[in-house]
Amino acid sequence: MSIIRANQLDAWEKCVDTGVHFMLGNYALVEGAISAGCNFFAGYPITPANEISERMSQRLPQVGGKFVQGEDELCSVFALAGASLAGAKVMTATASAGFNYMQEGLGYCYTIEAPIVIADVMRTRGDNFATYADVYQLRYGCSGDYEAIVVCPASVQELYDYTIWAFNLAEKYRNPVIVMSEATIALMRERLEIPTAEKIELFNRKYTTAAPADYLPFGAPENGCPDFAPLGKGYKTIYSLNPHNEKGGIDWDPDEFERLYKRVCGKIRENEDDICRTESFMMDDAEYAIVTYGSETRPSIEAAQMARESGIKVGVLKLCNIWPVPEKAIREVAGNVTKIFAVEMNMGRYVNEITRVAGGKCPVVSVTKNRGQIHTSAEIFRAIREETK
Amino acid sequence: MGEELKINPLRKFLRKEKLPHFFCAGCGCGQVLNYYTQALDALNMDPEKMLHIGGVGCTARIPIYLKTDMFHGVHGRTLAWATGVKMTQPDLPVVIFAGDGDLVSIGGNHMIQSCRRNLDVTVVMVNNMNFAMTGGQVAPTTPEESVTMTTPYGSGEPRFDVCRLAMAAGASHVERWTTAQPVQCKLAMERALQHKGFSLIEIVSQCPTHYGRYALKTGDPVKVMNYIQSNTYAKEQSERMTDEEKEGKLPLGMFICEEKPVYAGTNMAF
Amino acid sequence: MLQYPQKISLCGFGGQGIILTAVMLGTAAVTKGGLYAVQTQSYGSEARGGQCQAELIIDKSPINSPVAEKKNLLVAMFQTAYEKYITTLSPDGVLVIDPQLVTDLSVPVEHTFAIPATQIAVDLGNRMAANMVVLGFLSECLGILQENDLIDVVKTQVNPRFVELNIKAVQAGIAYAKEHDLYYHG
Repeated sequence: MSIIRANQLDAWEKCVDTGVHFMLGNYALVEGAISAGCNFFAGYPITPANEISERMSQRLPQVGGKFVQGEDELCSVFALAGASLAGAKVMTATASAGFNYMQEGLGYCYTIEAPIVIADVMRTRGDNFATYADVYQLRYGCSGDYEAIVVCPASVQELYDYTIWAFNLAEKYRNPVIVMSEATIALMRERLEIPTAEKIELFNRKYTTAAPADYLPFGAPENGCPDFAPLGKGYKTIYSLNPHNEKGGIDWDPDEFERLYKRVCGKIRENEDDICRTESFMMDDAEYAIVTYGSETRPSIEAAQMARESGIKVGVLKLCNIWPVPEKAIREVAGNVTKIFAVEMNMGRYVNEITRVAGGKCPVVSVTKNRGQIHTSAEIFRAIREETK
Repeated sequence: MGEELKINPLRKFLRKEKLPHFFCAGCGCGQVLNYYTQALDALNMDPEKMLHIGGVGCTARIPIYLKTDMFHGVHGRTLAWATGVKMTQPDLPVVIFAGDGDLVSIGGNHMIQSCRRNLDVTVVMVNNMNFAMTGGQVAPTTPEESVTMTTPYGSGEPRFDVCRLAMAAGASHVERWTTAQPVQCKLAMERALQHKGFSLIEIVSQCPTHYGRYALKTGDPVKVMNYIQSNTYAKEQSERMTDEEKEGKLPLGMFICEEKPVYAGTNMAF
Repeated sequence: MLQYPQKISLCGFGGQGIILTAVMLGTAAVTKGGLYAVQTQSYGSEARGGQCQAELIIDKSPINSPVAEKKNLLVAMFQTAYEKYITTLSPDGVLVIDPQLVTDLSVPVEHTFAIPATQIAVDLGNRMAANMVVLGFLSECLGILQENDLIDVVKTQVNPRFVELNIKAVQAGIAYAKEHDLYYHG
């Protein structure tokens, strides 16, 4: 039996396209996935994510992987689940409306703890204009109890870097990870530096060393995830969406039910320090803070610089991931500034999370734009000036 | 000399802790499991070295009793799962147990596309002519005019002939039998397990609890099986029968078994 | 010395290779010139009606905001595109036009470089190479790249059948800037 093991290293090193490139965001995301050892992709056409599928269909056969164009998003996401459980490192890409359909398979992967990576290149209804409209769909789209991990790149370089990070988190926590992208960075070309293969740190899932008789497919500490067993090797694992006990058997006993969901949520909640990342710009002496994520970080930094030129001390807290919420970092900022500006490309959504975490320590002002375009730095600066008079 | 306890040797394939099974008295799913384990035994195949997939529904529960790796619990996506598995472990035998609702209602598009691609899997579709687990609602396979929980005045929809659908879509091995034909079912499953490509084995089955009670006004499994027998015919008899005699009845037999290239995903060879 | 960032916009008609020109200039700036660049383009309904536009920001350090409200260099390769995008050029910016394609300059710009890219391309045997004439011209005019570096990029990015023609076109664009002493230092 031939199991494709992710990252058979000698072959994989040749896959990494080391060097300086001027690359499209969607392509950089693909190169990040290839560098992370992705060897299976299934997707359904949708703009503005098509360049991801197109490049994957070209790149995966070159590196010994498999590409499938599914008959729909459901086929694609469930093919991901199947391939992931069979040992592949898997990814799909879609855009807002297509992501709706994927929620069903995503929910299955949360529950049976299959590592998958989904890129959501968010778009407005019916056209390719940039938006952050899916911020809640990324987190709350599925039925059932689970915790989402969503990383938010802000540049072509980060589309590459964060995709590798997404694969590592998926493998480490046996959890789906979503890369939040949108038309601005997805369709932008920019400088991308791909390091040499040996400089790329990868985390691959753990396989059990136990004999089949001793193996517990869903046995793990409350804040951890179980080891995998290969398919077809006598481990007899049942991967059911239904509540299941440590042995994998479908089990409606309330104690087993509770234990499963405590662990599926606990493995993320209790590892927030390991998962969450933020970056600070000009925060040391800041009296005001912009808290933002994704591509909106870029005009935000310029707006902070403009504000400082006119004597207003503004800093920027960039959330590298929005789920789980980087609560510690937001709380700390809320305690140090007199006002927070939540900059988003929608009608104001994640501002609710920031306000909740700020907990009344400082007011939070929602700076929104829903015109299919990223904020300009001047627009953000004007909003700040208005509120700091 | 005490009495020797006789145990069915095919129990070696079953998970002891899962028994007794959950099927209703008189349900055909138990028979299908029985025929399937016979086919495995005849071919000396070990379910522990295979993957079995069930979606949601009564039929989807069949592989839960097998000592095997299995996916379960999402309605209609069995073939989508299998697509990913076969791209990653092409040599791992994959067998799907799906009800008629799972395969051709919610999963209909996955089914026809998998036939078209000739995905290398075996699909055992137990056709009990209704959605049974949810309480006996109309399905795409429900005979016309049947009373079900959601067609209280009789169904006005024509039904699918799933075997014809599969063949039209490109499946390379298609057979239909009934639960009353144990030998034919077992041999068909053996052929399917050995076939390289998409195999569909449809087994028309009795659901005395729902289809029997609502559509046929009987909860007696034998009467439901008699109904199935009188509403099917061997395809070899087709030429000797008038169109009127065939009206509303399903032909049984092997319809196609041919070699075709199997699906392997995007490949640089093309 | 050239000031950074350079905020460039190229506009024209679909099929002229406007976006490719921006991509190649950006590629050369990043992979050969050690610079940073961001290239975006009009998409969605904005791109309909035949006009197309590509934006390119080039800088010595990483670029934050990917959109520039005002450009300091506008290349217009079609009359209607000129009319639509001329308002995005800052008053002290430079306008580059093909005089054969943009004939009616309704908004006079003090620094206007007219380069007969289409005519030069026709003389080389294929009018489709006009965008490569513009590429060579821009590169020389800005003075950010070596000729051989630009030619390396052309070799990797265009269809092998047209490499020879495109290299000639790029060289002709460079020569035009040199001959007419058209350099931009803004």
